[in-house]
Amino acid sequence: MTLRKLSALALLVLLLTGMLAACAPKEEAGPVTIQVYYPVAVDAPIAAIFDGYIEKFQEQNPNITVEAVYSGGYGDVKTAIQTTIDGGGEPPALAVMLATDLYDLVNAGYILALDDYIAADEDGAAYMQDFIASFMENSHYDGKTWSIPFQRSAVLMYYNADFFAEAGLEPPDSWAAWGEAGQALTQKDSDEVTRWGIEFPSGWPYWLFQPLAIGNGQNIIGEGDAEVYFDDPKVIEAVQFYIDLSEKYGAMAAGVQSIWGQAPTDLASGQTAMIVHSSGSLNTLLEQADFEVGVMPLPGKTAGTYASVPGGGNLYLFDNIDKVKQDAAWKFIRFLSEPERAADFSIQSGYFASCKGAYETEVMKAYMADNPQVAQARAALDVAGAEFSVQNLGEVRGIFHNYLQQAYNGELSAAEAMAAAQAEADAAMEAFK
Amino acid sequence: MEKETARSRIDRYLPYLLVLPTFAFVSLFTVWPTLSALYRSFFQQRLNIAKFRTPTFIGLGNYADIFSDPHFHRVLGNTLFYIIGTVPLSILLGFLFAMLVNRKVRNVGLARLAFFHTTILPMVSAATVWMFFFTPGYGLFNTALAALGYSGPQNWTGSPDLALLAVMIVAIWKNAGYYMIFYLAGLQNLPTPLYEAAGLDGANWWQKIWSLTLPLLRRTTLFITTIAFIDAFRTIDHIFVLTSGGPSEASTVLLYYLWQKRFEQLDIGLSSALTVILILVLLVFTITNFRVSEKGEEDV
Repeated sequence: MTLRKLSALALLVLLLTGMLAACAPKEEAGPVTIQVYYPVAVDAPIAAIFDGYIEKFQEQNPNITVEAVYSGGYGDVKTAIQTTIDGGGEPPALAVMLATDLYDLVNAGYILALDDYIAADEDGAAYMQDFIASFMENSHYDGKTWSIPFQRSAVLMYYNADFFAEAGLEPPDSWAAWGEAGQALTQKDSDEVTRWGIEFPSGWPYWLFQPLAIGNGQNIIGEGDAEVYFDDPKVIEAVQFYIDLSEKYGAMAAGVQSIWGQAPTDLASGQTAMIVHSSGSLNTLLEQADFEVGVMPLPGKTAGTYASVPGGGNLYLFDNIDKVKQDAAWKFIRFLSEPERAADFSIQSGYFASCKGAYETEVMKAYMADNPQVAQARAALDVAGAEFSVQNLGEVRGIFHNYLQQAYNGELSAAEAMAAAQAEADAAMEAFK
Repeated sequence: MEKETARSRIDRYLPYLLVLPTFAFVSLFTVWPTLSALYRSFFQQRLNIAKFRTPTFIGLGNYADIFSDPHFHRVLGNTLFYIIGTVPLSILLGFLFAMLVNRKVRNVGLARLAFFHTTILPMVSAATVWMFFFTPGYGLFNTALAALGYSGPQNWTGSPDLALLAVMIVAIWKNAGYYMIFYLAGLQNLPTPLYEAAGLDGANWWQKIWSLTLPLLRRTTLFITTIAFIDAFRTIDHIFVLTSGGPSEASTVLLYYLWQKRFEQLDIGLSSALTVILILVLLVFTITNFRVSEKGEEDV
């Protein structure tokens, strides 16, 4: 090897070392990248809205990069994260998952309690106080707080106010009035139904069913984390009322109705007078319908009582990742739940704003003045019970769905079905008693 | 001499070298997960129940639980019904479609496209479209049936008697066009002199199909049967969209059940045992299928 070759090699080594040194991260204020897993509904521009927030957040925090990973629905996000963690990979810093996933996520050791962050925050207590109470129902376990409400909804009844006016009917204020209104508004051409009084989806039935039980004074879950009331006489009565809507009043098609996707379109196009659906459909309905859309919680059994139940997703912070990433993720959580942003998210997406402060902002007030239905939907939260969440939720919910649908389809009586559901559910939660 | 040895050494190792990439992939993505599932199936492990989070060895406990569970029996029944109802019919339709479009007539390309286009659609999109077809009252499927004089129940996705049938209809509709392509390729490779000879011998159309076309397409049929069978176990996207396995498990098939156990109920042990059962069923079928077909070949 000649001297020239040697010196060239030395020079190359020197250059490479220099380049590597230049690339080495600086210790102070190191840039950090966090991932957020986010479920997006197929038809909503939510990804675009969320990207906008990320951009603004990165402007305010130049050393933090937020990567949003959008995928299917809530189930897909949860599955993706589970698979990552079980395969030994690193979870994202943050994810939006169902509020009801709480117990599974804590028990599996996936998520981090937020109490330290709340305590360290100078106005942490005020921040937590501002969330709408019924959205916090599924955030506490084991004396700790585990999630922050974000993309929240509730069960509502939408009705075609023009049909009600034509028939000289008032919006129903009790089960009996509801059934009778449905009956009166159902139209037939000889034997064929041309317009239903009510469409009440039941392909994935627990959520929309819950307001019936709550409206009869007994939610299907209790205070404890392994407590269900499927065979309570009031719950059985609520199951029977669903069946009565078709059997007794003829106001609805018989049996299980897998019509979640069609129901809002059916209301907008005059195929039905009332639907029970998510508050998330409000914007679509207001855009599509050429009549006055009425919005209310579901009537309860006794006159003058109403009921609803919240739903939707919360923000969860993950365990077993760098503290730097967790700190950045907490910052992003705080950024997302600022009242102005929550108000903007609500207006753009149709979900509720998660905090009371958002409803006090000028933009929100103006928006509600233009769309009185938004305030009516918001009022449903005042009569909402807790959403179905217990230990071993996947299995217990599966059991409840199975028997509830058997009752809806007339394979078992309401009482038989709920007794069987109770027994199986108690067995499935044995480990927690 | 020395050159010869080097040559034969290459000859000896080259085949191994060539299969190495495939071997690596199969080991990593098929053999390893299978062994891992087999191992985990002997343990009780539930991620969402703190005291069962660390695996405990329970021998064949998971298998005992599975086979004594009435829900599993229901699921097995559904799966069997689903396979018997979809596999032969979609293969038969695929063959008929292929016969239909294997002719030199005008616009045959359009007909081929019509039969084949269902294959290109993603299953989720196809199922979403079918959800609207199935809508009671004004759905296209119900309207079409009504025009043909059908006046039975219309709640395809919500009725316990119809839900499984509904997801089967979508599967048949989706797959027949796919199998058609293989049969079409097979038909176009058939030797014409044979048919001319048969024609001279006075064989009629049906005899030609039965004695020439079908035996000559045996290998194609074997291939299609295998992929159709595996596909029937594997494809459950439309069940998620149309029925979520309901109502009351009426349309829950084996893989959907496995998904529920693994991802909804976080039951690692039980879902691993179900995976092993699924693999065994597929293995037994595939081997039997090949054996039977090879035997048939010797007979010819």
